[in-house]
Amino acid sequence: MAASLTGLLKPWTPRVLLVRWSRYNPYYLEPGPRKEVYHIPETELTPEQKEERELKSVRPIKAATNSVTSSVFNDPVLSKFVNMMMKDGDKIIAKGIITQTLENMKRKQVEKYHKAPEGKKAEIECNPYAIFHQALENCKPVIGLTSIQKGGKFYQVPIPLTDNRRRFLAMKWMITECRDNKHRRTLMYEKLSQELLAAFSKEGNVVKRKHELHKMAESNRAYAHYRWW
Amino acid sequence: SFENRLAFRWFWLPEPVRPLHGSGCGQQQEAVGMEMRPETFSIFRTQENDPDCQSEQHQGQYYTVPPSHFHTVFPHGLPPRYQQQVKTFNEGCVMVRQPALELISHLKRADYSKPTLRYLLYGVKGSGKTMSLCHTVHYCSTQGWLVLHIPDAHLWVKNCKELLPSSYHASRFDQPIQASNWLRNFRTTNENFLSKIKLRQRYVWTKRESTEEGQPLGELVDMGVSRVKSSSDVVGAVLKELRLQAGGTEGGFRLAVAVDGVNGLWGRTTLKKEDKSPVAPEELTLVHNLRKMINNDWCGGAVIATLSQTGSLYAPSSAYLPQELLGEEGFDSMDPFIPVPVSLYSEKEFESCYLYYLDRHWLQHPHSQTEEGKKELIFLSNRNPSVLERLCAFL
Repeated sequence: MAASLTGLLKPWTPRVLLVRWSRYNPYYLEPGPRKEVYHIPETELTPEQKEERELKSVRPIKAATNSVTSSVFNDPVLSKFVNMMMKDGDKIIAKGIITQTLENMKRKQVEKYHKAPEGKKAEIECNPYAIFHQALENCKPVIGLTSIQKGGKFYQVPIPLTDNRRRFLAMKWMITECRDNKHRRTLMYEKLSQELLAAFSKEGNVVKRKHELHKMAESNRAYAHYRWW
Repeated sequence: SFENRLAFRWFWLPEPVRPLHGSGCGQQQEAVGMEMRPETFSIFRTQENDPDCQSEQHQGQYYTVPPSHFHTVFPHGLPPRYQQQVKTFNEGCVMVRQPALELISHLKRADYSKPTLRYLLYGVKGSGKTMSLCHTVHYCSTQGWLVLHIPDAHLWVKNCKELLPSSYHASRFDQPIQASNWLRNFRTTNENFLSKIKLRQRYVWTKRESTEEGQPLGELVDMGVSRVKSSSDVVGAVLKELRLQAGGTEGGFRLAVAVDGVNGLWGRTTLKKEDKSPVAPEELTLVHNLRKMINNDWCGGAVIATLSQTGSLYAPSSAYLPQELLGEEGFDSMDPFIPVPVSLYSEKEFESCYLYYLDRHWLQHPHSQTEEGKKELIFLSNRNPSVLERLCAFL
């Protein structure tokens, strides 16, 4: 498939064209934004890396999305969370809320750190990114439920979940919990930071919801053989 | 430790201790020099917490404002993000920078029997003008001056819920809430002067209320705080009294007028009268009295002002020079003034700020503590102090 369609442009074709199609030919390779990969000198490359580099010099590459950067502070999990938080495509507001959340969490923890006695300082986690990742881990369910029809009735059957599904559920629960079940006048970043700090210490409504799902799955163990995959 | 490794890699070593002006400072320096052993030596901090004794060798270093001074000297002057930072780090540290040192040296050498000198701090957005002003205010406070700190003149020309017609002058408007708030903060800052200064004139507020000659200033201020309706006129009276008595030979004190966002006093307001016509700044009592204060027709003090585009009304966001922000009228009133440019962080100051954040455990992202992360911070912030602060907040 031709990599450029500039030869086919006519006066009536729209000026702004889609650059990144959602269905690329599998021929296209993923972009690699990490700088470290390209700094390794020729001699230290493993055979796979050498092959990859040769492939990149001949094959076309997909266009990189706007949210992917070569910055050292780029975090794919956080980007996914920002996308899930986004409404009507307004990423600036969503990213702003997340940065305010991280700042708020860090402020609370650093204040606690500076006021704590010497012995307790090592236990307080001040890194908001570490807190975010750990809180998300604590919210991820291990097993899920799905509705399977057998003999005219629908049963809730426990099924294993893929990693992506687990991460999605944790993020979704976190966002819906903060949007729905909190006081109306608190701002989103305040609600999120409270909920994330609670989840980090395995308290809070999101972790409770995960436990309830596990209990339901445990109680429906008998129907597990209804699953055929 | 981390700081020790950097101490030996750094090219800037502590200079040999030499006595400064005044024997008190010299001895203090000697004692401090003794304490600065390599184990406890930090590049970005200095033990010299007295603004009087700070000099060029402390440039780029952070000094701690003693907690006892904090609430008296700065009840209302600091930027809100800096106040949050003080609360988080449990200490108030200010960087010693060149504009503040220049201002302090001017204040030390000025002749206070001549008409007041006006100093104007200007610079791009976020370069540290308000913090330099606060540093100078701390110096004035430690030297025993009376400090008149107006935190933001723009707050007096916008967002006013109550605009009362003035009882003293028919065409002017009063702002009771702003005036009483400011009087309360003024009282906190200058407790010890309130009983010493006596009024030289009788002020009549209503048919039954008046303040007699010879009463202490504290009574006037208390009256302004309690009687909110006449608080703007009280502010005018206070300013007039201080102007008259500042250069006096008997019990004379020095008066420092520190105004942040002085370009708000000339220009336009967003306030409207009842018939929806706009209010000019001259028609506000507070602004009228403050303009009289900024004139150089009194002696015995200094006027230190800052330009500010952030809170300003109807000014383009790229404007930062005095000519652009003050306008013709403002520039003519302020002229002649001593301009003090405030620049972005130099390399040394940036290093100092970076090390301070590391020391206070503020830079938590593992990559922000590497060389690459530091280069990225320099690139993203362009060494602008406020942009750097906002970046480091979520990293």
